[in-house]
Amino acid sequence: MASDDSLPTLKLLLIGPSGAGKSALLTRYCDDEFEPDSSTATIGIDFKIKVLNVRGKPYRLTLFDTAGQERFRTLSTSFYRGAHGVLLVYDISTRASFLGMEKWFAEAEANTVEGVALYLVGAKLDKAEHNREVTPEEGRALAEAHGALFCEVSAKSRENVRRPFVEIVDHIVEDPALIHAAKTGRAAGSVTLDSNSEGGYLPNCSC
Amino acid sequence: MESLSDTLWDVVICGTGLQQSLLALALSRSDKKVLHIDPHDYYGGQDAALSLQEAESWVADVEAGKEPSFRSALITKPDGSTGLGFPRAYSLALSPQLIHARSALLEQLVSSRAYRQVEFLAVGSFFIFNPAQDPSQKPTLARIPSTREDVFLTTAIPTKAKRGLMKFLKFVLDYESSPQTDLWQPDAEAPLTEFLSRQFKMDTELQTYIITLSLSLDGKITTKDGLAVIRRHLSSMGMYGPGFAAIYPKWGGLSEIAQISCRAGAVGGAVYMLGTGIKAMKEGEDPIEVELTSGDVIKTRSLVRSGNDATGQIETARLVAVVGSPIKSLFEATAEGAPTPAVAVVAFPAGSLSTPGGKASEYPAYVSVHSSDTGECPNGQSVLYMTTLATSESQEILDQALDSFLGAVGDDQAPQCLYKLQYKRLEGSTQSPAHGSIFDFTIPSTSLSFNDSTLEPVRDAWKMVMGDAAVDAEYMQFTDREGAAEDDDL
Ligand SMILES: Nc1nc2c(ncn2[C@@H]2O[C@H](COP(=O)(O)OP(=O)(O)OP(=O)(O)O)[C@@H](O)[C@H]2O)c(=O)[nH]1
Ligand SMILES: [Mg+2]
Repeated sequence: MASDDSLPTLKLLLIGPSGAGKSALLTRYCDDEFEPDSSTATIGIDFKIKVLNVRGKPYRLTLFDTAGQERFRTLSTSFYRGAHGVLLVYDISTRASFLGMEKWFAEAEANTVEGVALYLVGAKLDKAEHNREVTPEEGRALAEAHGALFCEVSAKSRENVRRPFVEIVDHIVEDPALIHAAKTGRAAGSVTLDSNSEGGYLPNCSC
Repeated sequence: MESLSDTLWDVVICGTGLQQSLLALALSRSDKKVLHIDPHDYYGGQDAALSLQEAESWVADVEAGKEPSFRSALITKPDGSTGLGFPRAYSLALSPQLIHARSALLEQLVSSRAYRQVEFLAVGSFFIFNPAQDPSQKPTLARIPSTREDVFLTTAIPTKAKRGLMKFLKFVLDYESSPQTDLWQPDAEAPLTEFLSRQFKMDTELQTYIITLSLSLDGKITTKDGLAVIRRHLSSMGMYGPGFAAIYPKWGGLSEIAQISCRAGAVGGAVYMLGTGIKAMKEGEDPIEVELTSGDVIKTRSLVRSGNDATGQIETARLVAVVGSPIKSLFEATAEGAPTPAVAVVAFPAGSLSTPGGKASEYPAYVSVHSSDTGECPNGQSVLYMTTLATSESQEILDQALDSFLGAVGDDQAPQCLYKLQYKRLEGSTQSPAHGSIFDFTIPSTSLSFNDSTLEPVRDAWKMVMGDAAVDAEYMQFTDREGAAEDDDL
């Protein structure tokens, strides 16, 4: 099932500052694994594929995990193309990571189509009790200001880990314009490189 | 993670132009440690696609001498023009080459599976500009028939001439086989036009059709080269669908191919740093020690750089113009079932234009017209990419070509030009690419259609980096990446 090319494919990106917990969230969601105190910053781009059923219909999610470190600016404008949704992740226990989110929203908004689904995720919810530096209200207010959905999660405790993925996909498939793009993938005038046809000077030539 | 300077890199690639990026793609499934840097803040280098803001700072860089292969860059906005969209709505390609279906580049993009990330659009008709016969008339654009049926049906060509054209088309498809070779080989280095007139009795008008299809910049392409490019054009026709021979990557041409190649590199674990160049290096050491402009000092087994293009052999003059009209008449599908083309080509034959001083154009000028389907401008507008060989008058000639073009496509009123970016570009550098473990890309002289010779240095650089591990048959041969996890049900 997971490799079924014929399923409608949704492209989701995870962006946000380094150390926010993007890779941990994705690994917990996809593989149900968590590595405490991992110090492996993402350097290139990682991606995972997962089939998610929403309202009885399967969708093939391609989930791109990106590097948050400024110096490894792997995100080219072309990277955002075709994205249906962007998850913007910050760390609720680090105020600086939250304060930087305007910049990430600006980048996502500048490079995606209008109506793209945005989801703000406050990560490391398990630290809420002792180390919280950003209130849920602040997070929600920022999300609302950008028309984004919002929740807080913990990759460590598993709390809410599925929620942002399920809700963003649910939001995307509710939007006929976005889901149409997901089904057909490409614009009407575009050319597929695996097709072969006639109409030229050459009869079907085998060279 | 390990810091940059603790790692012994297998290669540092400097620059994210098409060639360097294709190298990153070629290495993306190897176990080589790749550090890919670019002094620019954007991907693509000399092949980038620029927003209007980026274009502005690019012009400043060119004028400051920071872009060795470019000069005389200038942006102008005609007085009184209105309707330019917001700066990010534009993506002006520095390398807007069309790609013929039979290009080895497409073969490599398919075999490396990278093509899945790119959206390709059809390049439709080729037109020839005919100046107005007298001032009361409008100049016109004549479409070059593009398929056998087209040639057969067209009323623009007299029947007798048609026969010569059909005969030539048949000949060229098989021109490399034995009896045909006798016909052209003695004239291999002579201009194609002479050959066409002698062997196929073509008049100047038909010769112009053929020269236009060859996209020859000086109009004097040799018989040998000309037959090769015409064959490529004709045999590309219909390959990916009816009615078109070439395609164009959406969102800025070769820039897009460079970007998806870098992304493949990043997915493969290469480290990317934009806004970072080489500050200093100690040559002759193994490993090479390189100081980056970021201050990091790193060690690498090999180094790949962009050549210093100031050694270029050919200089072209370019004019990129944003026009406030969709110019729909140029983008009609010409064959049944053909996709709507997003690019049209208009040729101004040598002599069809003149400077304000009355001097006739010495070389042909070409305009690639891009509809908003290319994603390079907002709906309702189009982008013109105009090229001619650089001369002391070339800028005036291009301005004249722009005016004439707008006059030819307008109904009652000529469409308005909203924005102009002009520059000159040096191409076809000659220095020798490899010395030891350092490789400098040379730029083959680009034409308006992607030139496969651009790809050869990439493979050479790949061989240098891979060393003994290079297996030719595996070059750019990859399977789709799968990062599949368990299903999830809601
Ligand atoms: N307590 C706790 N720690 C977490 C949680 N999620 C991630 N971490 C830790 O935070 C650190 C950074 O997490 P990553 O997932 O690597 O961060 P990232 O956003 O991918 O960072 P970059 O790849 O550099 O952009 C690691 O040490 C994780 O173990 C969480 O939910 N709770
Ligand atoms: Mg990460």
